[in-house]
Amino acid sequence: MPEAVRISNLEVGFQSHTLLSIEDFHVNPGEVLAITGPSGIGKTSLLKTIAGLLKPISGTVQVCGATIPQRPERGSIGYIPQKLGLVRHSSVWANVMLGSRAGNPRSTSREHAMNAIEAMGLGEKKNEPIKRLSGGQQRRVATARTLAQRPRLILADEFLSELDEETSERVVNSVLNYVRSNEAAMILVEHDVSRAREISDRLLIIDDGRLNPFITDTSVMEV
Amino acid sequence: MVSVIVLIFSFWILLKLSSGMVWDWNGWSVIEPQSYPPCEANRFLEFTCSTAWIGMIETIKIAILATFFGMILSLPMGLLSSRNLFPQYITYPSRAVVSACRSLPSLIWAIIFVILVGLGPKAGIMAMTIYTVGYLGKMQYEAIEGMNSAPLEAANAMGLTKAEVSLWVVIPETANHLIAQMIFMFEYNVRSGTVIGIVGAGGIGYYINLYLKFLQYDKVAAYLLIIFLVVMLIDLVSIYLRSFFTDESENTKPSWTGVFLPQNFEKATPSK
Repeated sequence: MPEAVRISNLEVGFQSHTLLSIEDFHVNPGEVLAITGPSGIGKTSLLKTIAGLLKPISGTVQVCGATIPQRPERGSIGYIPQKLGLVRHSSVWANVMLGSRAGNPRSTSREHAMNAIEAMGLGEKKNEPIKRLSGGQQRRVATARTLAQRPRLILADEFLSELDEETSERVVNSVLNYVRSNEAAMILVEHDVSRAREISDRLLIIDDGRLNPFITDTSVMEV
Repeated sequence: MVSVIVLIFSFWILLKLSSGMVWDWNGWSVIEPQSYPPCEANRFLEFTCSTAWIGMIETIKIAILATFFGMILSLPMGLLSSRNLFPQYITYPSRAVVSACRSLPSLIWAIIFVILVGLGPKAGIMAMTIYTVGYLGKMQYEAIEGMNSAPLEAANAMGLTKAEVSLWVVIPETANHLIAQMIFMFEYNVRSGTVIGIVGAGGIGYYINLYLKFLQYDKVAAYLLIIFLVVMLIDLVSIYLRSFFTDESENTKPSWTGVFLPQNFEKATPSK
């Protein structure tokens, strides 16, 4: 099976301002990779570049067989942004259906959406608008939206913050269960190193060193 | 509120000065039923046969239709003009169309449509629809560009089409702004609708123009006073309606007294 993500000589940043340089890096199907490091170092920008939302300064990014800027198959990438990206005035159902419609044929999209909502324990909140939910519940909706989408690659930006321990475990189990059973890949950005180590198969620490404010490939190290 | 009272008082004084006793004033004949066609309404509703009522209602109808058609046309234009949704080769031409619609005031559009389709409310509706597209389209694309980028990023990463993103993400996320803008536009159209009648595009402006030509300034003053009262009423209702379409509306549901009276007149207790 081809790699879910392959990155070569990538420079990530804005215009000519490089935030992060990565020489070579890949994620296999069924693998969970966690990325950690200090704030402002380019972790989110890296996720956005892989999601095809940010143009790389240089280098190549292959995602699910497609080389960016070419888009992979519809519904292949499930992205949970740091701010979750939920439609605040729509209901839980409408938000989850958004993901389900992207990744499934019309005939099964409702079923997948319902299953994901139940898995996240949001059955009773199905018709509630997002703005009436707590921060933790909103995180579960964002996760349900991605699970209903059934993507081949999940990109999650600090998606476990604001969750209590019990809910966090439930969310992690559901997501990991999906990743393992569907041979999907997952890249998550996580500040809490011990938690990141616990969840992931591989942990990538991005460190900016002492003098150089920009990241170089040598400071990307696998643990 | 004080300014409104001062304004009404000024009108009152003006009327007194210009025509003696207010209630005997000849200008009020504009709210009396017309002699022809005969009025079939009962005694208390006879005012509905007056030129002031007929003209004002026609103006409001023109404003409702122009806002409705304008909204239907401006929404796709607003979406196509948003730089966070579409590339520049789409947003620039779309913005040019929106700007072109806005570049001429509705009065000039009314003159153009009176020439094209003839006198009457049809020309007024078309003129104000075009202006609404220009004005509302700009407000819409600014609201869309100001929306939170995270839902768009999540939807784009999923691979949804532009139409799906517009329909399921952008419109629901900006709905409050879009509805509030539409109500504002209706209010604006009622105001400008009173003017376009002067060039023959229907509404109360037609009667104003008519009596100006006959030099019956007392009647013109009465029409202006009626327009002022109706526009003020629509403004207040519009403020009330728009206050429901804000992000905080659930916690700060407004009351009618809050709209009609200064805040210190109102008790501090929330209505919900």
